[in-house]
This record gives sequence, structure tokens and C-alpha cells, in this order.
Amino acid sequence: METLRILVVLPLYGGSLPIGRYVASALRQEGHLAEVFEAPDFYPSYTALNDLKVTTDRLDYLQNSFLNVVSQAILAKVETFEPDLVLSMAQAPLNPQALKRLRRDGVATAMWFVEDHDLFTYWKSFAPLYDVFAVIQKGQFFEYLAAIGQENTLYLPLAAQPDFHRPLELSQVERRKFGSEVSFMGAGYPNRRKAFHELVNLDFKLWGTEWEGDHVLEPILQLKGARVTPEECVKIFNATAINLNLHSSIQADELVTFGDFVNPRTFELAACGAFQLVDKRTLMGEAFDEDELATFSSIEELIEKIKHFSLRPEERQAFADRARARVLKDHTYAQRMRTLLEFTAERMPGWSKRRDDSTVFGQDYPAELQADIHALQARLGLPENVAFEDLVWAVRQQRGRLDELDTSILFLDEWRKLYKKQS
Amino acid sequence: MKNYLVIQLARFGDLIQTKRLLKTLAARPEATVHLCLDASLAPLARLVYPDVILHPITAHGTGQDSNETALRMLLDNRRTFATLAAIDFETVFNLNFSGLNFRLAALFAPERVEGYAWNNGQEITGQWPAMAMRWSGFRRLGINLVDFWGAYCPDMLPAPMVNPKATPKGGGMGVVLAGRESRRSLPAPLLAQITATLAGARNAQSITLLGGQAERAAGQAVTKELPANLQSVTENMAERTDWQRLVEVIDGLDLLITPDTGTMHLAAHLGTPVAAFFLSSAWCFETGPYGLGHTVYQGVTDCLPCLETAPCRENVRCLNGFADPGFRRFLVTGKAGHAPEGLLALRSAFDDLGQTYEPFAGTDEDAPKRGVLRNFLLHHLGGAEPRFDRLEQFFAGQLYREKDWMTAEKPSRKQE
Repeated sequence: METLRILVVLPLYGGSLPIGRYVASALRQEGHLAEVFEAPDFYPSYTALNDLKVTTDRLDYLQNSFLNVVSQAILAKVETFEPDLVLSMAQAPLNPQALKRLRRDGVATAMWFVEDHDLFTYWKSFAPLYDVFAVIQKGQFFEYLAAIGQENTLYLPLAAQPDFHRPLELSQVERRKFGSEVSFMGAGYPNRRKAFHELVNLDFKLWGTEWEGDHVLEPILQLKGARVTPEECVKIFNATAINLNLHSSIQADELVTFGDFVNPRTFELAACGAFQLVDKRTLMGEAFDEDELATFSSIEELIEKIKHFSLRPEERQAFADRARARVLKDHTYAQRMRTLLEFTAERMPGWSKRRDDSTVFGQDYPAELQADIHALQARLGLPENVAFEDLVWAVRQQRGRLDELDTSILFLDEWRKLYKKQS
Repeated sequence: MKNYLVIQLARFGDLIQTKRLLKTLAARPEATVHLCLDASLAPLARLVYPDVILHPITAHGTGQDSNETALRMLLDNRRTFATLAAIDFETVFNLNFSGLNFRLAALFAPERVEGYAWNNGQEITGQWPAMAMRWSGFRRLGINLVDFWGAYCPDMLPAPMVNPKATPKGGGMGVVLAGRESRRSLPAPLLAQITATLAGARNAQSITLLGGQAERAAGQAVTKELPANLQSVTENMAERTDWQRLVEVIDGLDLLITPDTGTMHLAAHLGTPVAAFFLSSAWCFETGPYGLGHTVYQGVTDCLPCLETAPCRENVRCLNGFADPGFRRFLVTGKAGHAPEGLLALRSAFDDLGQTYEPFAGTDEDAPKRGVLRNFLLHHLGGAEPRFDRLEQFFAGQLYREKDWMTAEKPSRKQE
């Protein structure tokens, strides 16, 4: 596929935030020009409104006004960047007015709704405002979306980013800090709290947030329940013999819920070459074969399998190797982005209309200059046949002082625009 | 040693009008002043600013095809950019509101840049130029561009130190045939009449017509319109002067008759008296000749100053005062009672902020408001005696923005 310009709109906070970053990284890896709208930078200002101690109607007004400013910022970015696609992650701060404006201006939009539609129901108002709506669940959800006018729906399961989720050589200190026989990394949902009570007598480390108030689990909770960075997650996955992966549930009656979608941790652990015990999901069979993931259907089976695999490191390694191979083959964010873009092209005839792009090189450029520009393209991760306008944008994305070649390219671009306008 | 860089990528007149800033920087202790400019103006800059280190680049149309220009930019500009990036500049004064200037600023840390900066891919306009854009809403009050650029420095040199006081040099009269914008210039027959009148009144021994290639024919037309006795002492030098020759000619004149042009600013730089005709989009309080000893005839119809790019729907009535037969009489007598309607005759003068003009015929209706604005700006820049006029509240409302005082200013106008 030709190089596209894609604006990835991150959410202000939350679970789809790291996924948005992987998406941007994968798009660049695929040779596209991905610009990221850093919504989290705006979040501290938004939360500051909550400390005002004002009437609720006034607070509501202020919050909406602030979010409107953020939406306007995204529109301004669209105006300058001229993306072929605005790709929003779930919870992206684009309000309905802004989405309508993008539609009016002919800017293609897509949302990757990496949420459980039963828990996060705001899709009911937002889904029709996007041109493409990708989801991680199947079944009736598609019918619901069609019923509210969203026909361009795509099942797009989660994935891993192999240059980030990968096997690591850890130091002794890191192994001590992040390693254990058994571990779990994630938030303290009710089903997990109850399930893990059964495991506290093991060499078990619990990582993540929202575990407060559970005295049974408190002794095994790491970092006092502080947020774990994605980088630390990868270290934990790599340092743990048996990584537990129990999908979340807001109720504790059924500890294993046999829900549909497969969580990102499944793919990430696999990509790290880490062994995991994961609860069965209805959509898991499409993503992995039975010999690629060690699964459980009940807490009793989980305990039994922990005992089994504790004693069999070769079996663990075999599962881990097969799972990693499968993820690298079928479940990377690069592949997901390819699927999404192909789907968008298929459903939106005429997309994407290429701009009046020009080539980077004149025929008479000296070899030394060509070599320098090639080196710049490589540094920026751009293909050699990149259009001049895309090279300019990639140069502009850099931070700090620019060097003389970067500046010359920006300057030339501006000069061309100026004299094109005048002529 | 402290290095300062001024980036001036605009045209001839703007280059000369950067003088107060350049001289201010040069007067600082241990200062080395650098100037980045369009290569076409480098020969002129060498004559005008011999002590400034020049860094010419390709910034304007070159007449070459765009591929050739692209190559020049990626080779020659790049080499110059590398030189600039390697110098540790105390401050970079980036003067033009242009995409080119913003991009060039990418070479420098934004906190070192005054004017128009580049911060991680974002164009940033400083507080002072942003204010200037706002006062363009009341251009009749505006300040001289030389002072505006000079005011980037809190320690700007006193205005009288910028240009020598203009005095006749003995070389006759020069006439600039047209400026870049044709509506600002007087038509050839009228220019010939005015030239003849002033030449007669001053007993000029020679008349030199000046301009570029495009004015060659206008020079012939003006010559033809002159009385025979003047034709014989008139030389049409349009298209015949390089920068060096132009400087020599201007430097020897008794008087230069001109619309608002780069040549006019060059005359002011050299201390050659100017009689300037300002109309249409040209407004002397913005771009009049800098220094003492100059005369400006300013059209004052209520539609002035207009936007040159917008078509005139007033049949260029700002020309009427100049075309009035009484105007030539007034040129000779200089008596206020002889001045035609629609004109203001002014002599150049200074106040605490810099260049201004005092009328010797006609009424400068904007003078009271302009005085308040100038005091307001002077106070803003930190150089005014405490004084307050209620009208300043209006200007504060118009010129200040909340972000000016609520947030950190970037690029900052440092108090040195």
C-alpha cells in the first residue's frame, strides 16, 4: 500500500493509550506517516477542574468546554497535517461536532474500539459518526452497529508490537525485582481478587493497580499497587516462570467468564516468548491453536496447571515458542493496521485521494546529496520512494533544534509553496 | 565575543530599515553582528553594512527553474545553515512573518529567538510582532518600521544616531520613477511636472532618473514631458545602475524625489534629503524616510492607507491632491495656505520612541491619538516616563492579549 498520512488520536488516559502508541509505531513500520495527537498531555488540566468546588452545572460546562478545546486542537492538527485517515483509539477526545466537521470536510475517520461493548456503551452515540468502526468482539454487536447506521464494521482483534513485546536479556537485579514463579500483572477486578486468594501460598507476585483494601493479597502486591509502565510489564513477563492471564470481570460469582474477546496481555505475553496460563475465551480459537496456549476453564484447573507446569520448564518453553511464532505470524499491530487500511479502502471507494505529491530528488542531484537524503530517510524510517511532502512532514515531527539538511528541506518546501501561490 | 544574528529575508527597503536594530547590536560590548539575507541583496548589504558578517541564502524567486533553485537550496543554503548552526548566537532576531523565516528558525533553540521561532515543529510568534499585527488595525497611528525592528532591543540606540541628518550634497536632483507597487507612484506626466517645479525652484543643475529595467520606458516618458531646458540636463539611468553605482549617485544628490521605495530608504541612510510622495497603501508614519531633513507629502483621504492587493474603488482619489495645479505652487512656496485639499506636508522629526513627522501644511487629525499610542508603546517597551492617558486603556484592550501576561512568553523579549 502506498504511504498514507494517518493521524492517531490517543485517549486522554486509560487502557487504549498504550495500544494507540503501538498502533502509531506499527503504522510507521509499515511505511506510513503517522502523527500522534498526544491527548494525555491535556489531561492534567482537565482533572484540575475537578478541584474547583463549584456548582455541578458550572463544572459540567467547564469540562465540556475544555473537551471542546481539545477537539478543536485535533481539527487544527488535521488542517495542517492533511491526513488520509484520522484513526481514533477508544475514548479519543473527538466530540460529535468535530467528527461531523471532519465528515463535512471529507476527512476519513476510523475508530478502533478496543473496549468491551457491554461495559462501555458510549459507542451507541459515537459509532455512526465514524466512517469505519473496528471492534474486538463479534456476534450481535455488528447488528447493533448496523441498526444505528454503522455498516463499515470490522472485527479487528488486539495484537502485540514485536519490537516492544519481545524476549529480553535481564540482569540479575532485574530478575530479582521482576521475577517470581507465578505472577499476575493487571488491575484488581473482582473476579481476579477472589481467584488469586487461592494462590497466596505460592511464590506469587501481584502487579498493577486497584488492589487496595484486600488484606489477603496485600503481602504479595508489588510496588504498593503503583502503576506499572509498559516497559516494566515486558520485564515482568520475561522474568516470570508462569504468567497468569485471567480476563477481567466486574462480578465475582463466575471467576472464569468465558467471554468473547482476547485481551492484549495474551498477545503481549506470547510475543515476549513468555509462558502464560490464560482463561478460555470464545474468540481465542480463531487466534491460537490449542497447542499454542495453555488454558484453564476454572480456578481448580488453574491451580492444577500451575503445579503441572512448575515442574515442566520444557513444556512451558514449547508453549511459549509456539505462541510467539503464531503472534509474529498473525497477530502484530502492523498486520492489524494493514487489515484496517485495506478494509477502509474497500469500503470507501476513492479513498485515499492522493495529494499532488512531488518527488524528493531532482535528476541532477549530486551523489553526495542523494546519499545524505537517503540517510535522512532511513533515520526517519521512511521508504526511499517517499513523496517530498511526506518527507517534509516527517522532518517537522522531530523535536529540538534541526540540522542544516532538515532545515533546508523545510525551507525549500516553504519556498515552493510561496512561489506556487504567487505564480 | 557575543554573536547576534539578524534574519532579514525581505526586500531592498526592509534591509535598509533594519539599520536601527543592526546598529544597536553593533554598539553592544564585544558584539559581532551577523545578517542572513537573500543573496540578491548581499552586494548592497556589503556597501550599507560593511561591518556586519553576511550570510546570503536563496530566499526569493531566482528566475531559474524550480529544480535548479531546489538544488541551490539543498546545497548552498544548506552550507550556510550549517555555518549558522555552528555559531553560538546570544540572540537570533528573526524579523519576517513568513514560512521561510519560521523554518529557518528551526536551526536555533527557540529561547534564543526573538520574533518568529520554531519549537518542535510549531511556529511561534513573539509578543512584540504579535502586538504589531494587532495595531495594523489602526495603521494611521502605526510606528516606523525602523523603530519597530529596533525595539526588539531594550537598549536600542537613540533615533538620531541611526542616520545622518540629511543635507544637500551638490549633485542635483534624483527622481525615482516607480516603486514596486505601481499605485503608490505618481503617473509619469505628473511626476514630470513636479520634477520640473522642484528643479526650477531649486535651480537644479542636473536631474537623474532612477529605476530598474521596468522603469526604463517611464524614464523616457518623464524626460519627454520635461521642459526642453531640463531635458538637456536629465539623464535616464533606469536599468543602468548596479548597487555600487546607485549608492554613489544617491550619495551625491541634493534631493531625491521618490515614492515609498527602497531607494528612498537608501537616501535616508546616506543622509541625502528626500522629498517623498506617499499615497495609496504607503503611509509615512509606517515607512517614511528615517532621520531629520526629509519632507513627506502624504495623501490623506479617509480611505488611506489602503491594501495594495485590494482593487481601488475610489478611482485613486488619493492622487487628487498631488494632481491639483495648486500643489506645484505649494511646492515652491511651502506656505500652508497654498496646500491643496487632501494632502499633508510633513517634516521628519523625532520623539522618544523614534521617527515621526510634523506637519507644516494641513492638519494631522490623528496626531493626538498617535501620541497616546506612541506613549503607550514606549511605556510597554520600558522607556517612558510615567504618564497616563485614558485612551491608553483602549489601546491596552486592543493590543494586549490575556496570554501576554498569563503565560510565559515565547519567544521571549528578554530584558538585558
